[in-house]
Amino acid sequence: MDKFAIYQFYGLLRREVLEHRNLFVGAPAVVALLILVATTWVATRIDPDRLAEGLRYLSVLFDGLSPFDMAPFFMVAAAPFFITLAICTVIYLINALYQDRKEMSVLFWQSMPVSNLQTVVAKLVAITVVAPIFYVSIIFAMYLIAMVWLTVLGISYDVDLVGIGWMFLAALVSLVLIYISVVVTSLWLLPTMGWLLLFSAFARKTPLLWAGGVFILVGFLEDFIFGTQYLANWVESRTADPNQYLIVEFSSVFERVFNYDTLFGILVGSILIAGAVFMRRFID
Amino acid sequence: MKNLILRNRYTVLLTTLIVYVVVLVAEGAITGREPQSVKFENPYFDLNLNNFEEFRERRNGSNRARREDGGDV
Repeated sequence: MDKFAIYQFYGLLRREVLEHRNLFVGAPAVVALLILVATTWVATRIDPDRLAEGLRYLSVLFDGLSPFDMAPFFMVAAAPFFITLAICTVIYLINALYQDRKEMSVLFWQSMPVSNLQTVVAKLVAITVVAPIFYVSIIFAMYLIAMVWLTVLGISYDVDLVGIGWMFLAALVSLVLIYISVVVTSLWLLPTMGWLLLFSAFARKTPLLWAGGVFILVGFLEDFIFGTQYLANWVESRTADPNQYLIVEFSSVFERVFNYDTLFGILVGSILIAGAVFMRRFID
Repeated sequence: MKNLILRNRYTVLLTTLIVYVVVLVAEGAITGREPQSVKFENPYFDLNLNNFEEFRERRNGSNRARREDGGDV
C-alpha cells in the first residue's frame, strides 16, 4: 500500500470521527459521568463504618491475585459501555450511507479521489476499530478517577488499601480485553453490519424500517420457496449465546476468531458489504 | 450480466439478497444447522423441542419410577 492510500484512508477515518463525535465520544462520556455520579450518590447513602469495611474488603479481594484472573471482574463494570456502543453502532451504520445521500454530500465525496469501496470500508473500520479506542480511553479515565476517589476515601477513613495497585493492574488488563472483545464481536456480527449498510445505501426513506422489514420478508420467502428455515436458524445460532464472541481470557482469542462460524460470518458479511459498495453508485 | 445486475438499485439489492439467501440455505443444508434455543441444556434436565415426545416419555418414566420408590404421592 502506497503512502497516498494510507493518507486517503486516514482522512476518511478522521472525517468519520469528526462527523460523529457524539456517538464516538459524547455517548461514552455521558455513560461514564452517570456511573460516577450514581456511585458517589450510593457511597453517600452508606453508613461510614460499613463503607470503610467495604473498602477494606475490596482492597483485600485483589491483593496478590493475578490481574489476568481478576480482569473479568472489571468487564462486568463495563457492560453499560458495551450496550451503549451496540446502540451507537446500529444508529451509525443505518445512517452512514443514507445521510450522505440525504444531505447530498455524497456528490462532494464522490468528486474526491476516493472509491466507494474505500468509503464503505472506512465507515466499517471507524465503528469497529476506532470507536472502541475512544470508549476504552473513556473507561480508563473513569477507572483512574475511581482509583483516586478510592484512595482519598481510604485515607479519610484510615483504611490500609493494600490491594489497590493490584486492582488498578486488573483494570488495565480488562481494558485490553474489552477492546479485543469489541473487535471480535464486530467480526462475529459482520453480517448484521453489512445488512444495515446495504439498506443504508438502498433506502430513500426510513432505512431502519427497510432493513427490519426485508429481513422478516426474506425469512418468510425462504420458507415458501425452499421449505426450510435455515436463515432464522442461522441468525438465532449467532445471537443467542454471548460466550461465542465475548473474550474473558487472552488464550481464547485465536480460537474465537479462527473458527468456522466466525469465518463463515465474515464471508456472508462481505457479500452484503459488497452489495452496499455497488449500491452506493446510485444517487437520488 | 454485469450491466443487468448494475442496471438500477433494485437489481443490485435483488442480486445481493439472492446470493445471501442461496449461500445461507446451501450452508444450512450441508451442515444441517439447527436453532440452539430448541435445545435447552441445563444441569437439571435436557429439553429438545424437536423431539418433545421423547422428553415427555422420559419425564413420565422418571415420575413413575419415583412413585414406585415411594418418594412421591
